Amino acid sequence: MGKVLMKGNEVIAESAVHAGCKYFFGYPITPQSELVAYMARRLPEVGGLFLQAESEVAAINMVYGAASAGVRVMTSSSSPGFSLKQEGISYLAGAQLPAVIVNIARGGPGLGNIQPAQSDYFQVTKGGGHGDYHTPVLAPASLQEIVDLTKDAFDIADRYRTPVILLGDGMLGQMMEPVEFTEGTEIRKFAKPWATTGTLGDGPPRTITSLELDAESLEKRNWDLQQKFAVMKANEIRYETYLTEDADYIMVAFGTVARITMNAVNKAREAGVKVGLIRPISLWPFPEKPFLETRDRVKGYISVEMSAGQMVEDVRLVVEGHAQVDFFGRTGGIVPTQDEIFEKIMMAAGGVTV
Amino acid sequence: MKANGKITILSGHFGSGKTEIAINLALSERTKHDKVAINDLDIINPYYRSRDAASVFREHDVELIAPQNRLASADLPIVSGEIYRVLHDSRYRLIVDAGGDKDGATALGQYYHEWKDMQPELWFVLNANRPFVSTLEGAAYTIGKIENASRLKVTGIINNTNIGLETTMEDVWRGHELSSLLAEKLNIAFLFTTIANHLQKDACNFAYRYEAFFIKRYMKLPWEG
Repeated sequence: MGKVLMKGNEVIAESAVHAGCKYFFGYPITPQSELVAYMARRLPEVGGLFLQAESEVAAINMVYGAASAGVRVMTSSSSPGFSLKQEGISYLAGAQLPAVIVNIARGGPGLGNIQPAQSDYFQVTKGGGHGDYHTPVLAPASLQEIVDLTKDAFDIADRYRTPVILLGDGMLGQMMEPVEFTEGTEIRKFAKPWATTGTLGDGPPRTITSLELDAESLEKRNWDLQQKFAVMKANEIRYETYLTEDADYIMVAFGTVARITMNAVNKAREAGVKVGLIRPISLWPFPEKPFLETRDRVKGYISVEMSAGQMVEDVRLVVEGHAQVDFFGRTGGIVPTQDEIFEKIMMAAGGVTV
Repeated sequence: MKANGKITILSGHFGSGKTEIAINLALSERTKHDKVAINDLDIINPYYRSRDAASVFREHDVELIAPQNRLASADLPIVSGEIYRVLHDSRYRLIVDAGGDKDGATALGQYYHEWKDMQPELWFVLNANRPFVSTLEGAAYTIGKIENASRLKVTGIINNTNIGLETTMEDVWRGHELSSLLAEKLNIAFLFTTIANHLQKDACNFAYRYEAFFIKRYMKLPWEG
């Protein structure tokens, strides 16, 4: 199969089908509705099931049910709808169920607007729902990267029995780029002896629940979860660096904003400023290594986000005062321009902007 | 590119390139007519619509008819009432940019009685590299649905087959073949092919044999020059 021209939302859906996801429960919301529509048309073709739920809350609980039965399952939404799913995501984390949840974020808080935003960073990386938990978060920057990361998301979900968040913004969901799917790649199969698919009377009944009334048992489960998170932190970190080797200043940006920032980096390099870029791909676990390696030799970091400053807090945590950490952001659905990021770099570098 | 009458409506699968063609057509019409309006009827998708090219229209003195100000980016199925003024003013040429698929075409249905006696042209834009319309059956099915929803017959097919900046003439030729088959199957005129400006050189042969128009891309992403 050659390249096709697709929208980000469609690419997520088709990548999920390629990853062996045959079950989708969702509810439409701009700017991710095409994902739901695509699944409605596509899943019957592969013998799967699409169901439009009566609400986001219903959809995430259907995901819980399907995940309990051991199948690959996905749901998707955008910021306000994603907030509604948080209770269910906490249940998935507590019951240790694999699922992929997509958030094509829009301007908030509240109903906000339908323009692109990255202001759900706190929500997706710090747990989001109630209780002590984290979910792995993957943030693609291009449509081709969606193909790989969607597959990774399902593998991580199955490997660790955890909900995984795929985070994009409205721009990523709506934009069109050529993509290529590799046909016939093997779908990794994970043994799921815990799935509630019936027993042969050969053991105790299988139960999936996040309820644990006994305090000591719940504490044990919480420490088990923490141990699992530690393993994820060791194995599931993804990031990219660009021109950081000799950089005096390092930009930090994820998703679509990283692409704009990369252009600003190139422009600043042409103006003689040694600047690079760290692009976290896994937002949780947060990539600490590229910061630990550079924090004692760079003059500063600048986090660029479509928010009022969220990822910048994680940057400060890992830089630990070894270098200056600065921030540039736009909110409300306004996308930062190359020129304003370039100016920010030039100002940090002490140059005079022209 | 040239319109055949007072009203030209662009329809197609979503993401097929309707808006880019509508903008190019509107600007081209403006070079021949004093009063040209473009009506953004896209109620389906609040991203990458004609109204996002408002400054281009201002610059070229093309009237943009679309929900204004804060309603412009509202997630509501609203259209502007201004269309009636333009429809009944004989000086105007009108380009209508409808939303994708049958759902987008639904917004057209309400104007049936307004424009049925004005011989509106309903063009179907085909990008054979898009899912669901890459086959003869898929494209024919989409046309049928659009015709039902709009209460009009498609009067022409435009081949706009591309994969963005990576488009090659191979894509264009493949789209040409599918468009020809589609036109024959449904007995609809195959009007012309649109090709991005950057392929002008490679498209020499094609443009010599078939009607082709080179179009400029206006809907750009923030990291594109």
